[in-house]
Amino acid sequence: MNFLGYKRPDGKVGVRNHVVILPSVACSNEVCNSIARKVKDTISIPHQHGCAQLAFDAEQTARTLIGVGKNPNVAAVLVVGLGCELVNSSMIASKIAESGKPVKNLIIQEVGGSPKTVKAGVQIAKEMVSFAARLRKERADIDSLILGVECGGSDACSGLSANPALGIVSDILVKEGGTVILSETTESIGAEHILARRAINKKVKEKILEIVRRTEMRALNLGLDIGKANPAPGNYEGGITTLEEKSLGCVMKGGTSKVMEVLEYAEPPAQKGLVLMDTPGHDAESMTGLIAGGTQIIAFTTGRGNPLGSPIAPVIKIASNSHLYSKMKDNMDINAGEIITGNKTVQEIGEKIFREVLRVANGRLTKSEIWGHREFAINRIGPSF
Amino acid sequence: MIKKFLEQIILSHPRDNVATAKSPIGSGIFITFSKRKKIEIREEIPFGHKISLRRIPKGGAVIKYGERIGRAIRSIEPGELVHIHNVVGERGKGRSRKKGRG
Repeated sequence: MNFLGYKRPDGKVGVRNHVVILPSVACSNEVCNSIARKVKDTISIPHQHGCAQLAFDAEQTARTLIGVGKNPNVAAVLVVGLGCELVNSSMIASKIAESGKPVKNLIIQEVGGSPKTVKAGVQIAKEMVSFAARLRKERADIDSLILGVECGGSDACSGLSANPALGIVSDILVKEGGTVILSETTESIGAEHILARRAINKKVKEKILEIVRRTEMRALNLGLDIGKANPAPGNYEGGITTLEEKSLGCVMKGGTSKVMEVLEYAEPPAQKGLVLMDTPGHDAESMTGLIAGGTQIIAFTTGRGNPLGSPIAPVIKIASNSHLYSKMKDNMDINAGEIITGNKTVQEIGEKIFREVLRVANGRLTKSEIWGHREFAINRIGPSF
Repeated sequence: MIKKFLEQIILSHPRDNVATAKSPIGSGIFITFSKRKKIEIREEIPFGHKISLRRIPKGGAVIKYGERIGRAIRSIEPGELVHIHNVVGERGKGRSRKKGRG
């Protein structure tokens, strides 16, 4: 099976062709925003990190920014740093440049302030846009696709309609040689035995149990109840009673394949097939981890109605029930609620979502793209200092 | 996963002792499931919420998707709404409860 995408110098294939203006630190956010406002077809990705972070957070931030720059949906990157920050912008730029795509770096303190950096950045961004505009789509095999599967604002229907249907999509893509990343470790608590049973080997099995255990222990050690944060109030209103119930529905998105690998947050997969990534249930943070891992498309199920998108990957929204679909049609791409009403089977909706994934790979815009949803949030482990 | 789509409820697994309401179900309505088993709905069940199919004793496991989703904090009669007022999850709690799953 094929799609038309942008072949990058590292052999990866993009389904979009973004020029990204990337701050290496929160201090560069507004300079990046200014450049992106002045140059059509560029995207700035502001965030709150990059400095005053403990080593593990600084490393995770750097890994995320590098991964976002390397994502095959990105044609070229301008990295803007301040100069005194912890997450070094020239290091970020040179790591992204390993992918072979055009990368430039500006440092505000070296260029001499905001206006001068914006002026220099606009010139670079214009050249990058004209480079990206000359690239042509080529036929690529579907095995080059990495699909992220996500759920947010779940209800009790999610585990009966949208999530098992998305599981069908995962199984089809894995069978076609592609990759599926299942994330949201918090929402594996109570369902980890199902994933562990499907681990390809003992090492992967132990890693699955370990990431779930350490997530749960973070709450246990604080003496707190995860259930006060996840499930969220809307999950309870939608009929989800416990974290276990939410998790058992959540993991269905991954389908029934063997689990090949367990990734850290924002880590790119080394294996094809179904892989897990250790991310929190927080959707913007989880999707940011997915795109940093190289995910080109995200399929996102929701029962309460979640509009989130991503700056880099098209996000396909799948409603778990027909009430939501008709109420928030402007945000929803597919209605899996027909499974609940009995009009369609899980298999039929799964195949419908898969066809939509292919159309989106070929360039069809999703509702989240049309509405300009570009939520981006880097997960953090410890406090700021 | 085995799913049974009945007129008013969805049974996600034969082992389940709860089912999901496909639409709001009023009190006093009778629901038939598996081989002429019939229960009377005892209270209003909102869309997507769960009803008990069997008597679940206090401390008993609540089963959905064929898996344990929590524990009854009081005895639950067939036809009752099953939710946070009578069920508690066992995972991710501040008190250590590592052997949470069934």
